[in-house]
Amino acid sequence: MKTLLYKELRLTAHPTSVVFAFLGCLVLVPAYPYSVIFLFGCLAPYITLVNARETNDLWYTATLPMTKRESVLSKCLLTATFQLFQLAFSVPFACLRAVLAVPNNPVGLDATAAWYGFGLMLYAVFDLVFLSSYFKSGYRVGRAFLLASVPMALGMAAVETAGHLPALAWLDSVRPADLGRQVPILLAGLFLYAALLALTYRICARRYETVDL
Amino acid sequence: MREPLLEVRGLSKHYPGFSLEDVQFSLAPGRIMGLIGKNGAGKSTTLKAILNMVSPERGSVTMFGQDFYRNEKTCKARVGVVFGGIDFYPLQKLSAITAVTRRFYPDWDQAQYRRYLRQFDLEENKRFKALSNGMQVKYLLALALSHHAQLLILDEPTSGLDPVSREELLHLFRQLVRRENCAILFSTHITSDLDKCADDITYLHRGRVLASADRETFLRSFEHLKTPGETVPLSLEEIMLRTERRAWDEDAAL
Repeated sequence: MKTLLYKELRLTAHPTSVVFAFLGCLVLVPAYPYSVIFLFGCLAPYITLVNARETNDLWYTATLPMTKRESVLSKCLLTATFQLFQLAFSVPFACLRAVLAVPNNPVGLDATAAWYGFGLMLYAVFDLVFLSSYFKSGYRVGRAFLLASVPMALGMAAVETAGHLPALAWLDSVRPADLGRQVPILLAGLFLYAALLALTYRICARRYETVDL
Repeated sequence: MREPLLEVRGLSKHYPGFSLEDVQFSLAPGRIMGLIGKNGAGKSTTLKAILNMVSPERGSVTMFGQDFYRNEKTCKARVGVVFGGIDFYPLQKLSAITAVTRRFYPDWDQAQYRRYLRQFDLEENKRFKALSNGMQVKYLLALALSHHAQLLILDEPTSGLDPVSREELLHLFRQLVRRENCAILFSTHITSDLDKCADDITYLHRGRVLASADRETFLRSFEHLKTPGETVPLSLEEIMLRTERRAWDEDAAL
């Protein structure tokens, strides 16, 4: 698994995707729609798969001692690495925001535990649609991104709107009492991300087995 | 007769407008087999089907005595594959591609790799796209040879190369087979290359194997194409040309 990820990071990952993975730091911006950070986490695998297509990555991979399933696994691992790294990288900046006593984000939801949970859910749905559509052909990456953008955009809008609804104000709070209410959302996000990523891998592997390069 | 390194049986694949039908041949160690046929005859599809890059609908591939499709990883670790004319990671330096590739092969021989870099005048700090077609093929060959591949599968490795580079590659093939006792299967439509180095020939015509045999038997099996009075054996090029012309005539008659 380490070798697969090494190959992806060294040969396949587009430099821009790596930059996007560091954009978790945007949670430090005082007023910003933080859901856009999730969009960067989706653009990272998209740009990398465009790069993979243009550099004949799947062809080269097929000549290595790897099965088609491992080829799919390596792309799933890379996508998860981008997204999980991005969220993990944002945590210290979210904490710094609290230390610096930056006022509540007026644009939308703050980087609360609930926000992280929603982010994981959005990533899970995006990856399921995007990767399983891409591995139908191994090259139609633009179409896959467009399809996956629909649930992603709707989810982003819902997350941003939640911060403005008085009944859901607790989602936008970092008070300990409210954080306690948000933890189940974070846990649900973690569970959904792991479960849908496993499902994504299974669907993609089955589809890619029949793809002719 | 030695156990074949590669045995292809009944390989079939159907596309709209083209079918690969019941392809079979076998390749023994220490032999070079040329896969010939005109453009679109199914040479690349055959090689891709052997390597599971194309999923065949029927047929089997036995490699090193094992079912390839069930033991893909272990078989591929003993195979070197070169696809001519495809830019892999054009902006990456050769050193980066090698650093990744070597991790996949337990038998990687860095000293051997360095030897081939020197022999082929390759510089590792160059980017893949900075190499000429011939140098790209040589680099991919250096990778394939540095893990002691016992079987080399090469798709059009000499296409687009100048005569000197082609000659050099063919000379290398002969040396490899003699020194390493590996086998080479390579597709080409440049039949003169095969005159110089092939031990066995497999001729694909419209997705079917027209003949597959050692070179002498192969040449004899096309004697019927000779015109009355012709005494010298037909060259591979003549065999291909006369066979394809016949097919055109049959198509025209229909």
